[in-house]
Amino acid sequence: MRTRGGEAPAAVTATDVVGTVVADAFREEWGRITAALIHQTADWDLAEECAQDAFTQALRRWPRDGVPNRPGAWLMTVARNGAIDRLRRSSTYRAKVEELAVMAARETDTDNPEPAVDDSAVPDERLRLIFTCCHPALAMEARVALTLRTLTGLSTAEIARAFLVPEATMAKRLVRAKQKIANARIPYRVPRASALPERVPGVLAVLYLVFNEGYAASAGDDLIRRDLCDRAVILTQVLAELLPGEPEAKGLLALMLFHRARQAARVDDQGDLVTLEDQDRARWDQAQMGVARRYLAEALAAGQRPGQYQVQAAIAECHAAAPVAQATDWPRIARLYQYLADMTGSPVVELNRAVAVAMADGPAAGLALLRRLEADGALAGYYLLPATRADFLRRLGRLEEAARAYEEAAALAGTAPERRFLNARLAEVRSQPA
Amino acid sequence: MRYMLIHAADPDLAGLWDDEAQATFSDWVEETIRTRVNLQGSRVRPSADATTVKIRGGELIITDGPYAETKEQVAGYDLLECASLDEAVRWAGRHPSSWTGAIEVRALPEWAPAEPLPAPADGKVRYMMLVCTDPAVDPREFDRVEPVDPWVEESDGKGIRLYGSELEPPGSARTVRVRKKQAIVTDGPFAETKEQIAGFDVLECDDLDEAIEVARRHPMARLGLLEVRPFWPFGAD
Repeated sequence: MRTRGGEAPAAVTATDVVGTVVADAFREEWGRITAALIHQTADWDLAEECAQDAFTQALRRWPRDGVPNRPGAWLMTVARNGAIDRLRRSSTYRAKVEELAVMAARETDTDNPEPAVDDSAVPDERLRLIFTCCHPALAMEARVALTLRTLTGLSTAEIARAFLVPEATMAKRLVRAKQKIANARIPYRVPRASALPERVPGVLAVLYLVFNEGYAASAGDDLIRRDLCDRAVILTQVLAELLPGEPEAKGLLALMLFHRARQAARVDDQGDLVTLEDQDRARWDQAQMGVARRYLAEALAAGQRPGQYQVQAAIAECHAAAPVAQATDWPRIARLYQYLADMTGSPVVELNRAVAVAMADGPAAGLALLRRLEADGALAGYYLLPATRADFLRRLGRLEEAARAYEEAAALAGTAPERRFLNARLAEVRSQPA
Repeated sequence: MRYMLIHAADPDLAGLWDDEAQATFSDWVEETIRTRVNLQGSRVRPSADATTVKIRGGELIITDGPYAETKEQVAGYDLLECASLDEAVRWAGRHPSSWTGAIEVRALPEWAPAEPLPAPADGKVRYMMLVCTDPAVDPREFDRVEPVDPWVEESDGKGIRLYGSELEPPGSARTVRVRKKQAIVTDGPFAETKEQIAGFDVLECDDLDEAIEVARRHPMARLGLLEVRPFWPFGAD
């Protein structure tokens, strides 16, 4: 693939090809480069600027010079050289410059940044970066923004669009987060092993939030939101690889992959949501489900008490295993939800358990569980509570009550597709003879 | 007697800190040190750099931000040796942070130490740890609070805790605000929040994680809140 000077026969379409190669490299390498530069310079802005410059140079030089054998190492070297130049100009960071220069000299000369050593020698600093970006002393929204900007290279404008806030607000959030890291001295390191059980759940929560923000696709720019899903998956993959002793990371990865495998079947041609029951299962991505199954099996094989992501992934696996909706193993799903409810105490989990019980033992049994939830009041104002009751009542043939519950749910629903779905069901029960 | 002046800045009045205020501040520091009234003191970073630590149901909960959302925010402290509360209040009225916010004057118990802080250690960062009450915790629980001595001994032994003391109850505090050159002295603390400062410690740590580790071991982590706020290093912007 690599060509030099006059012998560049593929140059006709090279720009397009190279554009794709650079885009791939961006996804693969951005986080690795910023993580290494932050480690060496302790300067987050410098790291981002130099990573950005390296990719800009790649777009300019690769079509002309050919794509280097190890694009990641090339980018890392160019970014590091850029950092050395900038620091030299500011002249106050002599020690850092020397450290960087020693590392750079070992690998390459500046004009031809093709590294002389295997890039596996470059330590993967992304784990430090993940733990720092997801530090509990930062507000959740700051952790999410910082993770997306620094680890995946999503631009401030893109993150702002994905989370429906003005770009200036998002920029300020990122600046604030970096200031706090510096001023309060949030360390740039992986917590020691004994602290991992306390810190890993916080990191997984950030990744799952990013994924869900993309998966829900209830508002905002669809393309960017799908991109959020992919980025969350990639980061979780990195985490699962770098922390092989943490089965919950694999569990979360499996859960994300099971969900993403159903993405194509979740929305119909009109952009309306299709329930799991009504989805065209031929459109599920079986290859991706296979990968998810493997990760889940690996997580469970660790022999620890399964955490919430593994249990949720196991539930997703039950759905994935059913060739048709009628073949779903609802008793097993109900048991898994029971396990999850005991673990989390979450009323939303309890609502899902009611749905599973209604499928396993009939809608009357589900309705009994719902009554307890309604009396408890924790889900007041949540549209899925009356929507679920409406569904149970419809299946019990209590159509009058079902219609009233659908109306209640439609009034609470947040998005147009949700309201359209509920109103369609409402029309259905109204048209049936009582 | 020793008194803590808690400086609280009002963001709306920040513009009033002018050259005159700066000169008055320099004179105040110079005079209180020369007369041996001032034992120690520092600015602290703004509340956006604060982290609050507590333990509930056995679980460590770390949050971004100060112990309470107040309009005026803790911005620094001084520890004074004075003959009486009135004298400490007079010093507070002469400090220009009473123009741009408020100064709460709190007595330390009789037995509080009178040491100055040692010179900063290289590569370490200092934190002010505010020990606060949590209104959500039933006051009857306080009968069950463990003694703080083992924590003090442990933290001193590691060289992490440089100073610290309980404060006399907020009911005996005075708060000084100077508006249009007139000192307005009120009874009670600067903030009318249910959360109240009950004591403070000065910690010197490698990083925030170490400060959090020390804070979580404090007996009040289970019953109150511990706010960890970095010092504003002298001369830094």
